[in-house]
Amino acid sequence: MTKVIVNATHKGGEGKTTNSIMLAEYTALIKGLKTLIIDMDPQANFSGRYIDMEYDPAYKGGKVPALHPDFEPNEDTNWDGRSSIANIFYGEEVVPYPTAIPNLDLLPAHSCKLQEAEAVTKNEVLEKVHLQLKRFLELPDVKSSYDVIIIDTPPSKGPLTIAAIKAASHIVIPAQMEQFSIEGIYGMLQLWKQESYYRTKDNPIELVGILPNQVRDIKLHKQFLQGLKLMKGVSDYVMPRVIKKRAIYTEILVEDANPKSIFELPAKNLARIEYEAACQYIMDKVFNHG
Amino acid sequence: MAKKKVFQISNALTEGLEETVSAAHNYSGELRVEVLALRRVELDPENPRDLVLTFDDVIHGVDKADSQYVRKTDEKASLLTLAHSIKEQGIINPIVVYKHGDKYRLIAGERRTLASLLAGKTDIQAKILEGKPDELKISLLQWIENVERKDLSLWERLQNLEKMLEALAHSKSIRKQELTATDLGRLLGCSLPHAMNYMAVIQADAGFKDLIRQNKLKNLEKAALIINIKSDGIKQNAIDACLSGATLKKLKSISTQDKLPRTISAPSIPNARGRQATLVNLGSTKKLEVARLIIDSVLNHVKLGHLKQHFSDLNWNDYKSINHAFKQLLKTLEKIEA
Repeated sequence: MTKVIVNATHKGGEGKTTNSIMLAEYTALIKGLKTLIIDMDPQANFSGRYIDMEYDPAYKGGKVPALHPDFEPNEDTNWDGRSSIANIFYGEEVVPYPTAIPNLDLLPAHSCKLQEAEAVTKNEVLEKVHLQLKRFLELPDVKSSYDVIIIDTPPSKGPLTIAAIKAASHIVIPAQMEQFSIEGIYGMLQLWKQESYYRTKDNPIELVGILPNQVRDIKLHKQFLQGLKLMKGVSDYVMPRVIKKRAIYTEILVEDANPKSIFELPAKNLARIEYEAACQYIMDKVFNHG
Repeated sequence: MAKKKVFQISNALTEGLEETVSAAHNYSGELRVEVLALRRVELDPENPRDLVLTFDDVIHGVDKADSQYVRKTDEKASLLTLAHSIKEQGIINPIVVYKHGDKYRLIAGERRTLASLLAGKTDIQAKILEGKPDELKISLLQWIENVERKDLSLWERLQNLEKMLEALAHSKSIRKQELTATDLGRLLGCSLPHAMNYMAVIQADAGFKDLIRQNKLKNLEKAALIINIKSDGIKQNAIDACLSGATLKKLKSISTQDKLPRTISAPSIPNARGRQATLVNLGSTKKLEVARLIIDSVLNHVKLGHLKQHFSDLNWNDYKSINHAFKQLLKTLEKIEA
């Protein structure tokens, strides 16, 4: 069965997008799994890593995906040539973009359309937004095309994050070992709890765990991590792998970085070993319950 | 030396995180609410029901040849208000069902389901449980559902409770009589006094229960109060008063006659806590005459008559001088006893 992994936390800057990138590249490059990545964040950073994003002239600071490589203006008369995950909220067709990485397809964000969906407050519409991504991912076409689907979410607890969680089979919560971040974990655990109430036994939502991110060798980080590990029940969800704060994790994101992926670094590189271990742990949990 | 820095996640946040994880573990899959087609909801034939009206009766109308025509029509009429509110606002609490074949069997929400049909609805919100829960859970769920209903009589509530106690005793492999009010309170999540009231009424004799069954006694507190009266005569007075509409306050005053003559209960000895006591505190009083009584009594003691002269010019209307005299008296007594 296709696994749907969501990186979520409503606090910004915790490493949702970075972690989505690492996981996606790990499954596609190292594991050779057919991977679909979905960008639910109107900031569209995740999308921008894999395809060109154009600035939407109709909306300040908004980004829209570039024209799809398969678009034929003369033949595709009913299509404007662009596709984004936001289309599912408007009853429009969705066409994944291929990326430079083999096995890796992308459904990019569309800033303006996603923001509109996020701003929905009317109850009937809200319910539709909440369930739309789940319905889309349950389509036989989607399920048969991919082994794993990785979703990046906006830093909020709004309709887009809830939609992602409703569609998820697994949740990963990246978090720094700092005050506001731990409070953010609480908010995400609430969403997970709420959703788990509604799931049946054959369709559970599994919390893979909290991934301690950007950890530095300082007392605060060590003691907060230790504190989490001592909490009853919570300790089972603190991943035994930790991501340290390293320049390479942000350097690899710049446009002309070489190599482009952590997993193209030499096998002995410390950063690669560190993130590969974390990804390995997550994938073991996702595929083997182990 | 500067204080060593310690960073700790606050207790409140720790508790919040722990409780969230534990709630997710304990209740996963238990609160699934979905919209079901009404035609897929059916009654559980193994569960006793208090209505005779069936789904068919609501959909097709009650057959005039039906032997229970009158009762069924009454029941249908009594559902009209609920049906009206469902038409306007839908149901507020989802019904509770479990899956049985391709149907969903009702655990709680018979009236809501029938009223929804009556309101012309085709679907209903339902909480779906994974499988058929055990007897105890079913009766507990029905209890919780019913607690919010105002039209349920004390008798109906007691019937419900008896079923629940049986199931509880069964699950603990003990006899029903061995269950205590504490067990019941824990099960219902209600206060101990409330549970004790229920227990008292459940254990009442048949004659008394008959009054409840006939709905002559409707109030739990009143019923429990009367049952706890020991003297038969007073009990009968209380019953009569209650039947003619006495308030709880009035009944309480009748029941206190049961406890006469009043005696002062011996002071209970509090549990030893803290340091061992090494002195006796004689307390204080605002009543001058009480102080006078104590001092006079001491001075009238056969052995202490000689002390009287020292207190002859005491001003009995002045707190200060009495305080002073009392201290003097204590000191002198300590000397004498030493």
